[in-house]
Amino acid sequence: MCYQYEYGEYGVTVLFLGQTEANTLYCLFKGRYRFFPAGLPLLVILCNKMAVVPDSGVLTFSIFKWSSYSSTYLPENILVDKPNDQSSRWSSESNYPPQFLILKLERPAIVQSITFGKYEKTHVCNLKKFKVFGGMSEENMTELLSSGLKNDYNKETFTLKHKIDEQMFPCRFVKIVPLMSWGPSFNFSIWYIELHGIEDPDVVQPCLNWYSKYREQEAIRLCLKHFRQHNYTEAFESLQKKTRIALEHPMLTHLHDQLVLQGDFDVCEELIDKAVRDGLFNQYISQQEYKPRWSQIIPKCNKGTSAQEVNRDDINSDGDDNRPGMRGGHQMVIDVQTETVYLFGGWDGTQDLADFWAYSVQENQWSCISRDTEKESGPSARSCHKMCIDSQRRQIYTLGRYLDSSVRNSKSLKSDFYRYDIDANTWTLLSEDTSADGGPKLVFDHQMCMDSEKHMIYTFGGRILTCNGSVEDSRTSEPQFSGLYAYHCHAGTWSLLREDSCNAGPEDVQSRIGHCMLFHTRNRCLYVFGGQRSKTYLNDFFSYDVDGDHVEIISDGTKKDSGMVPMTGFTQRATIDPELNEIHVLSGLSKDKDKREENVRNSFWIYDIARNNWSCVYKNDQTVKENPGKALQEEEPCPRFAHQLVYDEMHKVHYLFGGNPGKSCSPKMRLDDFWSLKLCRPSKEYLLRHCKYLIRKYRFEEKAQSEPLSALKYLQNDLSLTVDHADPEETKEFQLLPSALFKSSSDFIPLGFSDVDQTYAQRTQLFDTLVNFFPDSMTPPKGNLVDLITL
Amino acid sequence: MSTSNANFKNKCVTQVNCIFCESLLCTRGMKAVLLADTEIELFSTDIPPNRTVDFVASCYSTESCKCKLRDIACLKCGNVVGYHVVAPCKPCLLSCNNGHFWMFNSEAVSTLNRLDVTGLNLLLWGDLPELDDSENEESESPLEEECIRPTEYHGVHVTCF
Repeated sequence: MCYQYEYGEYGVTVLFLGQTEANTLYCLFKGRYRFFPAGLPLLVILCNKMAVVPDSGVLTFSIFKWSSYSSTYLPENILVDKPNDQSSRWSSESNYPPQFLILKLERPAIVQSITFGKYEKTHVCNLKKFKVFGGMSEENMTELLSSGLKNDYNKETFTLKHKIDEQMFPCRFVKIVPLMSWGPSFNFSIWYIELHGIEDPDVVQPCLNWYSKYREQEAIRLCLKHFRQHNYTEAFESLQKKTRIALEHPMLTHLHDQLVLQGDFDVCEELIDKAVRDGLFNQYISQQEYKPRWSQIIPKCNKGTSAQEVNRDDINSDGDDNRPGMRGGHQMVIDVQTETVYLFGGWDGTQDLADFWAYSVQENQWSCISRDTEKESGPSARSCHKMCIDSQRRQIYTLGRYLDSSVRNSKSLKSDFYRYDIDANTWTLLSEDTSADGGPKLVFDHQMCMDSEKHMIYTFGGRILTCNGSVEDSRTSEPQFSGLYAYHCHAGTWSLLREDSCNAGPEDVQSRIGHCMLFHTRNRCLYVFGGQRSKTYLNDFFSYDVDGDHVEIISDGTKKDSGMVPMTGFTQRATIDPELNEIHVLSGLSKDKDKREENVRNSFWIYDIARNNWSCVYKNDQTVKENPGKALQEEEPCPRFAHQLVYDEMHKVHYLFGGNPGKSCSPKMRLDDFWSLKLCRPSKEYLLRHCKYLIRKYRFEEKAQSEPLSALKYLQNDLSLTVDHADPEETKEFQLLPSALFKSSSDFIPLGFSDVDQTYAQRTQLFDTLVNFFPDSMTPPKGNLVDLITL
Repeated sequence: MSTSNANFKNKCVTQVNCIFCESLLCTRGMKAVLLADTEIELFSTDIPPNRTVDFVASCYSTESCKCKLRDIACLKCGNVVGYHVVAPCKPCLLSCNNGHFWMFNSEAVSTLNRLDVTGLNLLLWGDLPELDDSENEESESPLEEECIRPTEYHGVHVTCF
């Protein structure tokens, strides 16, 4: 039961959990479990005054300590902002760590942001990487920020961490630690610092009080944990009764009781089982890293019986009839409702294609919808076009294509726009030339997204195809790129949302080719990143709110976060999962021959939209061994470009088809392999089995001390059940377990438990391990009292 | 190769200091003028001053000639004090020059004419031993003179007068 009260300026959240034996209410209040005597009106006990958030102002501070300084570049210089004076800065003596500046605030304050001033020109001593720490005392500081400055002449402001679980905490000291400057061999310099926050004692004092209470409370919890670990029962109960602070959630207290005190392992297994079923391990699972699992799809072979095949008198002989041939520059879309992948067109190394296929995931079979869509009033053969699907209305749209320079003068440069109706199996020419309708000119390597909800299509970028100049000169004219357009499907009209602009205005967008554009159906934004503009690789990242007509720059791509974001210049294919709020990017081979190295592998990245951070799922840099049948070759598709990747967000599966492997020895070679990718995190079932294994393993080890024969039987039966014998690592560990039968008890004493019964100590360790799977709000503190003792 | 031309032998050896932080940049400087624009004075040296300066940013070319340059900055204070000729252009190559590749801007440095062993006369470039010979010519010099010919030039006469 969860209650949220708001009464005027009072507000509180209370989660009732139940009643304990002593007739007290057990509640979650402000992130901590507490006992409350039953019967007292809850509103009275638990209300607290909500602070009206005041404005943030400039905070006064002085220089407290410094690691070093060189020449006349004193720490005090950061108090003054003189961008045109090269000496108005602090500069460290060297760049050997530790280098730092500690600032002392005039009074304790909530420090909300920090501003760094700069020099009027770029300067090699600017901080490329730094950390900011803060705290009430010099010894006890917590990290507030980890970031870096751009090497330019603009001031930069960063938000500092100033809340713990929505509660603001104050600082008296702020420590700035430079880690790297823009010139690795140069010293660190800081030109000017400004701190912003709240100094008003009316706000800070309650925070100080809370902070001090919080520390006391955590200290008590550590004590409680220590007492229990050492079996000081009376001390434990006495402290708990006096302070009314709960060490953990009652469920875990119960688990502790059954596991450590009673040694009733069966009940423990039941408890864990219930916990998993109740979803308590979900937070742990969501924090685990994804493991990619590629598997090559071998579709069913079904000669000549595909339902929608039109050309029966095909020249193509066996094998080619029932699956798409090799190609690059094709297009794929997926209808998640019916789990069908549609594939159209492409380039097979020699010519453009016009075949149209559908793959049914359920049937594991390709069927050819059309051998030549042009013959059915559909689009002519093409590659580097773009397709999007309206799953709701079951329609597919296609726009754009690539024309070789040799045919650009002879063939029409009209941008034709087609729609395919899945159920009616008919093509409709929506426009002979979208440019004439106010839409984009004929483009290739653009991007197109479908907004089913508002029945709109968005297209952005791509290189505009133009006739070759009639004058015979070797220099080609400046390439032109297409802007951001919207197509109103219902009305059949186009509108230009943004022109291609090289300005750096907040609403300007720079057009490009080979970028990624995704539509987030929940927050109704287009996400655009990467791409290329002539020879320049772009690595900016912005979003466009389609309803608000507003551009939001997520990253302007100037910060060189090498290794932290997907590298530019390597063909990226991206998909979006609006439910998980993630963007998935598969990075492969570069189209640029110069950038292509023999040992480039795929890398897979996930962008967490809410947290605004990239994480690399895998990055394989091994050299490609040309051995056929080598494990790596089978495990994942070879790096390539001009391929297609689609995502089924309902079933959480990616599909990849074909592309160009970029083999310099056979430049016409294209691929026709079909893969599926599942990103796996440990499942609930796996965790449950793992916990059972841990419990049974311990039980075996305990038994081994007293009843070896019985223990051996237990190992062979019950414990063996929890092991996945197909997994080599688990099997190996399992095979080493019998050695416990021959070890003496003295080998098992864990560190820090010298005054406790050995069994008690070992069971406590197992308890600590199991507790890690539960959410932090339920568990005892992670640290141990003894660890605070330093020599 | 670098100082074989008679004209240069009579030039004074200057000590070059960073004007911003006073730290020593180089003990083998020569006052020179820019070939591309003889109005501009600067100080050049033959040995890469490797413990006192380092590169910043990337290569660039100026309008006056096609030499590929890269700025250098004082390691102590990070301010740009000059540039290094990474690759010279043909015209500069063919004209009369002192063969030095490392330049200090005169506004960024303060200089001192060095004295010879006796302490009475000015030290001249002709007095300095050739680069290939011993390195321990100036024992009190804090800068270790290393006999490393910049490999990218392969012994080409370069740049500025």
